[in-house]
Amino acid sequence: MLTLTINGTTHQVDVESETPLLWALRDTLGLTGTKFGCGIGQCGACTVLIRRAPFRSCGITVGEAAGKKIQTIEGLSTDNTHPVQQAWIMEQVPQCGYCQSGQILAAVSLLRKNTNPTDKDIDRAMSNLCRCGTYPRIRKAIKRAAKLAEAEQ
Amino acid sequence: MIATAMSRRTFLKVTTVAGTGLAVGCVFDNEPTLTMSAGEGGQLGLWVRISPDNRITLVVPASEMGQGAHTGQAMLLAEQLEADWDTIEVVTAPVGSAYGNKKIMYQQVTGGSSSVTAWWDELSEVGAATRELLVEAAAQQWQVSDSQCTARAGRVYHEATARSLSYGQLAGAASRLSPPWRPKIKPREAYRLIGKPIPRLDIPAKVNGSAVFGIDVRRPGMRFAAVSQSPVFGGELTSYDERSALAIKGVESVVAVPNGIAVVADSTWHAHKGLEALGPKFAGGVTRGLDSAKVDAMLRAKLDEMGKAEIKGAETIDVEYQVPFLMHATLEPMNCTAHVTENSCDVWVPAQNQDRCESAAVDASGLSSDQVNIHTTLCGGGFGRRLESDFVTQAVTISRAVSKPVQVIWSREEDTRHGFYRPASMSRFQISVGTDGKPERWANQLACPSVAATFFPPVAWFDFDPTTYEGAKPIPYTVPDFDMEYTNVDFGVPIGSLRSVGALHNCFYVESAIDEAAHLARVDPFEYRRELLGEHPRHKKVLESVAKASNWGTALPEGHGRGIAIIECFDSVVAQVAEVSITGRGRLKIHRVDCVVDCGRVVNPDIVKSQMQGGIVFGLSIATREEITIKDGRVVQSNFDDYRIMKLKDSPIINVHVIQSDRESGGAGEPGVPCAAPALTNAIFAATGKRIRRLPIGKQQL
Repeated sequence: MLTLTINGTTHQVDVESETPLLWALRDTLGLTGTKFGCGIGQCGACTVLIRRAPFRSCGITVGEAAGKKIQTIEGLSTDNTHPVQQAWIMEQVPQCGYCQSGQILAAVSLLRKNTNPTDKDIDRAMSNLCRCGTYPRIRKAIKRAAKLAEAEQ
Repeated sequence: MIATAMSRRTFLKVTTVAGTGLAVGCVFDNEPTLTMSAGEGGQLGLWVRISPDNRITLVVPASEMGQGAHTGQAMLLAEQLEADWDTIEVVTAPVGSAYGNKKIMYQQVTGGSSSVTAWWDELSEVGAATRELLVEAAAQQWQVSDSQCTARAGRVYHEATARSLSYGQLAGAASRLSPPWRPKIKPREAYRLIGKPIPRLDIPAKVNGSAVFGIDVRRPGMRFAAVSQSPVFGGELTSYDERSALAIKGVESVVAVPNGIAVVADSTWHAHKGLEALGPKFAGGVTRGLDSAKVDAMLRAKLDEMGKAEIKGAETIDVEYQVPFLMHATLEPMNCTAHVTENSCDVWVPAQNQDRCESAAVDASGLSSDQVNIHTTLCGGGFGRRLESDFVTQAVTISRAVSKPVQVIWSREEDTRHGFYRPASMSRFQISVGTDGKPERWANQLACPSVAATFFPPVAWFDFDPTTYEGAKPIPYTVPDFDMEYTNVDFGVPIGSLRSVGALHNCFYVESAIDEAAHLARVDPFEYRRELLGEHPRHKKVLESVAKASNWGTALPEGHGRGIAIIECFDSVVAQVAEVSITGRGRLKIHRVDCVVDCGRVVNPDIVKSQMQGGIVFGLSIATREEITIKDGRVVQSNFDDYRIMKLKDSPIINVHVIQSDRESGGAGEPGVPCAAPALTNAIFAATGKRIRRLPIGKQQL
């Protein structure tokens, strides 16, 4: 048994320690908001936050993640009240939506470190792939989220 | 109680749901002579469900794969229904003849950018008829005439006595009425929804992880399967190590599937590990010995077979263009969940072609079509790949073998190597321009596998495939002596429809060639096109609008260039201008793209805009870096590390202008894609004098 702390809740999971965190989240714990896209850390659909930093959960094992604070899309807010979620709705970002859990968490992490990111900062931080081409709206939504978060303070 | 009425085109059916709600169904009939009796009511598709608690579920034909079709179709229906937009839920319809797409041979297909254009009238009629039933129910209850009542935002009002009833309160009574003979369609002046940038219905669930895609389906007792198929197309399985696979923890069984083999386990990860241990080996195959050099040689041989045209004139162009195979690269890999029992087969699948899924499930399950239920989930991208049903065959085959619900998820490697690729093609242009600079003769030859033949084989026998030569014939430019010839090529590599299909390659070809002609004529590429579009005012307006939006003709910084392109496809006209610069070290930067679209009557301008933005990124990604190559009969690329798609940092500023017009609606999901490549390569030419005649741009010297 390994212990995972996800969105503030502790879970005992009966999987081999080398299991990628992605599959423990999806198949063992039923947290399907985290998506599978490539399995080699390229696309970012499986992005989660571990100790507030973005990680590709396909490339990190349950053994490595055990005992650390993990946040998934389900832990952001279920009622879409987080400023990044709000900005994503205001800018009508998602198309198919499959990559957006990862995009949103990457943006959350960026905004925690940098409350007023420039275009360059956004370029550097956002490496997640979106096949629908929502990039222009992601860029706008991150800037809007920064303003929303500032207003909340 | 079931009541029916028949009008010329619409056959409506009203029935109760659980005794208290209202459900409205209908089929659509374009043959006025067709008659239908009430006894056939069971075949009707249900379109609207209204429950006593005021929830409204719209059952629409389209799959939602990011293009906004659920919202667009719901807007058309809700506009006439006068529904409260905030109470609406949308689901994709089950398989039924009522949902056949009249633009795609009455197949239940989401494709061809037709979700709005094919369904406008039908959705309006269902909405209007349902509204009239609710109004009539209210009028009866109040003992007033229908004409004194009005419907608005989910309620019926009797203004004179300040009374109102919600749709939920009226649903039961409405379900006992006869549907109207000819529902009155609300005129466009009275629209409350259509034409407005209404927020999409699917977005809230897509920002908190609750949206259910194919891979998110969970069934009691469900197992997970991983598959491996012959890397050489059409090859056969020769050996595998079943014992090693079964020795992996969680692995339960090994099942043969068409063209491959599957490992079933208690988790996706265990299935994947099991497949590794299984180590299946394959031999033979139809593409054995094929490589990309051979593909090129076959294309060139086909062009040579057609032979060059005789061309005379003051000045001439004689050039060849080519594009590679491409994959769809939906971010959600191919997957399907199936549960086959002795007498039922349920399939949960992100799909664009429910009819094809049903046929595949019938074949693989051995059951009849009325025992098969196709449940369409949200699609994590479609772009044409999900018009196929190979994943359904696999899931149903495996579930039948193990008698349990099974979810098949392809690895990205499997997805990359077993696509239905946008075909590689080659196009030759011989153009002569007269002393006035205008083209006199235009001889264009295209060698390309036939895309239409993938769903209707006979077209390949006659080299007749308007899908594959869309954008190349006809062209909007005035050319006195125009000649376009097409020939099919078959490499054995599976091919299919990729977002915008023939227009995707032909727009690159034609819009590059006309740019070359403009250069030869020493005329500005925008002015040259405008002059030649004399007989196409709609095109001309779009072209002029994009020139204005992009400040065409104004000075640019050193090293920058602008390129322009235009296309008509899916009944829409789109023009784009790209602005690029090339650094001293030959690095390309795309600064901005301006886009103007005329897609006729617009349902939701913000969705049109998002489809243009996304289409442009899609097109630029294809133009700059995407390529599937073949070696030893198999696809070389395997994942996103060697099949690269555009990232945010490389995507330019995109400005979209939507022209509102009174024309019939055109499509929006696909027409944004084709111009991106030629606008870009024409801009590169303007900046550097280097003409890109082969995609992707990749590492070509700029």
